[in-house]
Amino acid sequence: MLLDFSQLGWWRIALCAVAGVAVVFLLAPLCLLIALSFDSSQWLQFPPPGWTLQWYREVLADPNWLNSFLTSVELGIVVTLASVFLGLLAGFALARGNFPGREMLRGFFLTPMIMPSIVLGIALYATFLRLHLAGTFLGFVLAHLVLALPFSIVAITSALEQTDKSLEDAAMLCGASLWEARVRVILPAIRHGIFSAAIFSFLTSWDEVVVAIFMASPGLQTLPVRMLGEVRQNLSPDIAVVSSLLVLGTILLMGLTALFNKDSKR
Amino acid sequence: MTLTGTVQTVPPEKRRRRSRGFAPAVPVLTFLLLCFTLPVLALLLRSVMEPHLGLQNYAALLATSTYANVLENTFVISFIVTAITTLIGLPLAWFIAVAPSRVGRFMFGIVILSMWTNLLARTYAWMVLLQDNGPINNFLIWTGIIQNPLPLYGSMAGVVIGMVYIMLPFMVISLRGPLASLDPSMFQAASLCGASRLQSFTRIFLPLLLPGLAAGGLIIFVMSLGYYITPSLLGGAQDMMLAELIAQQVQTLLNWGLAGAASFVLLVVTLTLYAVQARYLAPHGLKRS
Amino acid sequence: MSGAYLELRNLRKEFGDFVAINNISLRIQKGEFITFLGPSGSGKSTTLYAIAGFIEPNAGDVLLNGRSLVRVSPNHRDIGMVFQRYTLFPHLTVAENIAFPLRVRRRPKAEIEAKVKEMLDLVHLTPMRDRKPAQLSGGQQQRVALARALAYDPQILLMDEPLSALDKKLREDIQAEIERIHLETGVTIIYVTHDQEEALRLSDRIVLFNHGGIEQVGTGEDLYDHPVSTFTAGFIGNSNLIDVHLQSGFPHLPDGTKLYNYQPNREGAKRLMLRPEDLFLAKEGIPVQITGRTYLGDVIAYMVRTGWGQELSVRTQRQDSNLQAYVGDTVCVGFNHEKAYIIPE
Repeated sequence: MLLDFSQLGWWRIALCAVAGVAVVFLLAPLCLLIALSFDSSQWLQFPPPGWTLQWYREVLADPNWLNSFLTSVELGIVVTLASVFLGLLAGFALARGNFPGREMLRGFFLTPMIMPSIVLGIALYATFLRLHLAGTFLGFVLAHLVLALPFSIVAITSALEQTDKSLEDAAMLCGASLWEARVRVILPAIRHGIFSAAIFSFLTSWDEVVVAIFMASPGLQTLPVRMLGEVRQNLSPDIAVVSSLLVLGTILLMGLTALFNKDSKR
Repeated sequence: MTLTGTVQTVPPEKRRRRSRGFAPAVPVLTFLLLCFTLPVLALLLRSVMEPHLGLQNYAALLATSTYANVLENTFVISFIVTAITTLIGLPLAWFIAVAPSRVGRFMFGIVILSMWTNLLARTYAWMVLLQDNGPINNFLIWTGIIQNPLPLYGSMAGVVIGMVYIMLPFMVISLRGPLASLDPSMFQAASLCGASRLQSFTRIFLPLLLPGLAAGGLIIFVMSLGYYITPSLLGGAQDMMLAELIAQQVQTLLNWGLAGAASFVLLVVTLTLYAVQARYLAPHGLKRS
Repeated sequence: MSGAYLELRNLRKEFGDFVAINNISLRIQKGEFITFLGPSGSGKSTTLYAIAGFIEPNAGDVLLNGRSLVRVSPNHRDIGMVFQRYTLFPHLTVAENIAFPLRVRRRPKAEIEAKVKEMLDLVHLTPMRDRKPAQLSGGQQQRVALARALAYDPQILLMDEPLSALDKKLREDIQAEIERIHLETGVTIIYVTHDQEEALRLSDRIVLFNHGGIEQVGTGEDLYDHPVSTFTAGFIGNSNLIDVHLQSGFPHLPDGTKLYNYQPNREGAKRLMLRPEDLFLAKEGIPVQITGRTYLGDVIAYMVRTGWGQELSVRTQRQDSNLQAYVGDTVCVGFNHEKAYIIPE
C-alpha cells in the first residue's frame, strides 16, 4: 500500500506536494544562477530588466578566470591519476590480500573521508609551511589526494570484491603472470569501478574549497578559491556566469556517466 | 629421478603465505601516514604545546564566552539542519521510490545535479536569493504576506536554509537503499491485517526505515559540525561556527594552539559519533544476529 | 622410474587445524579421464587447486612427466582449467577469450587465428565467435571455457565441477561433448564432481575422496561392485548393508540364515552389501513385510522390513515382477547368493 503509488490515497497528494516543493527548492538556485548570468543589470536585479551576453564575454576574456580554470583542470587530472593508481594498489591489497590487520587497514584508509576538511586543511598548511610545499602545485596535489583517495579506494575495492577471484586464476593458468593477469583481465573487468573512482576523485578535487584555501597562493588559485575570493568581495555577475558554466558542466558529466553506465550494463 | 624420491617439504613458504598481498598497500600506507596522520597529530600536539605546555587552550575554548557561544551555535545549527533535512528528505526519497519510474528518475537526477553542482555556485545563489531585496523577500512582499523584508541573509535562518540545501541530497541517497529493500507485499499484508495507512506508516514503514534515517541524520549532523564555507558566507558574525573559528584563529590571529584545541574538540565529537554509528547503526546485513 | 604421467606424492595441506588433504598419493597415466569424486569438504577440490598451483602444499610433491611442479607458478605449469562459474573474461569476445592464452604466450598471429578457428570448430561455436560472454547461454559459456583451456594444448586439463551450474538436460549434452572432446584430443583430464552418476558416466577411473584422504581408486565398476569400505558402498549408488557373521567361511544373516557364498580365510563379524536391484520379491528367502511401495514407471521400488528389524530397499523391473505386493503384505526377499558382497574393511 505505502509503496504502491496508485494506492496511496490522500497520502499521495501530500507526498506529491512535499516532493514538488522540494524540487522547486532544489532547482530554484540553479535556475536563478542561469538567469542572473544573462541579467543586464549589474546589481543582480530579479526579475532581470533585460538580457545580455556581456558578462559571458567579460569572463571568457578574463585571463584570471581562465588561469584558475586551467589550474583546477590540471590539478584534477593529476589528482585523479594518482588517486586511481594508489586506489588500485590499495584495492588489490584489501580485496585480494590476506594478512593480519587487513580490516584495520581498510578503516584507516577511509578515515580522511570523515575528517572535517577544516582540520585537514590547517594541519596540512602547518606541515607544508615547514616543508616549503605550501602554495606549490605539488602541495595542492598531495592535499587533494588525501581527500580523493578514500573514494577511489572504496569504488575500486568494492568492484574487485564483486569480481570473481577465479578470473585471475583462469588468466594465470592461461599463462599470464599475476600482474599481467591483473592488468589484462581484472582491470577491464572492474573498469566500471575505475571510472567511478576517477569521477569521484576528480569531483573531490574540482569542488574542494576548504583545504584549497590553505594550499593556494596568489599565483596558484583553483576555480573555487577564486570564486570564494570574488564572492567575499562583491556579488558580481561574473560569478553567476562561472556558476552557470559549472552547472552546465555538471549536466554534461551526468550525461556522460549515464552513458557509461548504460554501456557497461550491456 | 632418485632425487625426487624423497618427500619435499616447504615450510619456509608457510610464514610468508600467512601475510600474502600486503606489499601493494605499502605505498598507500606511507603516503597517508606522511600526508595525513602526521600533520593531524602535529596539529593536535600544538594545542597542548603553544604557547606553552598545558591545557590552557582548552580552558580558553570552554571558558571564554565568545568561544563557548561558537560551540553552542555549532551544535544548535547542526541539529536544526539535521532535523529539517530529515523532514524534507524522507518524503522526497519516498516519492522518488514510489513515483512512476520516469518521474522518479527525473527527480533523482535533480537531486544529483544539485549535489554535484559546485558548492560555491550553490552558496552564491543563496546569497542572492536571501538578500533583503532578493527574489524571496521581493516575492513575499509582492504577495502581501510581509511588509518589511525578513532578515534572511546574515542570519541563522540563512545559514540553516543554505545548509539544508547542501545536505538534502545526502539524506535522499541514504534512504534510497533502505526504501528499495522494503517489500511492497509487506504493506499489503499489513492492510489485510486491518492496519490503516497511518498505522502501516507508524508501525511498519518508519521502524523499518529508522536505521537509514539514523545513519543519514548522523552523517548530516557530523558534516554540519565541521562545515565552513556556507555558514561563513550566509551567516552573520554572531552565527559563527566552529570551523570558521578554526580558520580565523589560523588565518588572522595565528593562534595555532587554540585552532589545534578546537580541531581536537571537533575531531573527538566526529569520531565518537561515527564510532556510535559503526557500532549501533551498521546495516542489518553486517550485524551478527 | 615411476611410469606415471602425473604423480601426487604424499601431498598434504592444512588450513590452520583443518587437514584438507592428508598424505595423498596418486598416479595418473597420459590420456586418462580421472574423476575426483567425494562429498564437499573431502579434499577433492583442494587437491585439484594444488595441481593447478593456487594452493601450496605443506608437504609432498606434484610431478608432471617426472618434473616437480611445486615451485612452478601457475602461469608456467601449462595446465588448462575449466572453472565452476565459467570465468570467461567479460570484456573479450568468444574468439578473444580463446586467443588469450596464445596472446600472453606471444604466439604468431597466423597461428593464433588458426588455433582459435580449430577450437571454435571443436566446441561447435564458430557462429558465436564475436559475441561477448554475457550474450551466451550457460552451456555455451562453459564450452568457450573448455575451448580456452584447450587452446594451448595443455599437458593436463582440470575441470572443477564444470556442470554444477547447468540444468539436467544441458548437463547431459555437455557431458557428451566432453566425452567427445576427450576422445578427439586425447588430453589427460582430471574432473572434480560430487555427482556420482557423472563420475560413472565420464571417467576411466574414479578417485573417491573422503575426509582429506583417498578412499578408493578404480573404474566405475570396481567401485560399484567391489567397494573397499562402507563409505564407498554408500556413496556410489544405493546399497543395503547388513551385518553378518562369518562362520567357517560362510556368512550368516542376523536371523541365522546361512548364505552359500564361500569366503575363504574370513571369520567373525563383517558387513555385507546387497544392491537394491539384486534383490527381488519371491515366495522363499528372507521373510519381510512391505512398508513402502513406489511406482517409478520402469521400476517398482519397495521398502521392506526384515525379521531383525532392518529396512531394506528393493528395486524390481516392472516386467520382472511376477509377484505383486502392497504395503502391509508379508512376502519373502530373494537374491543370488553370489551377489552378496562382503566389504573387506
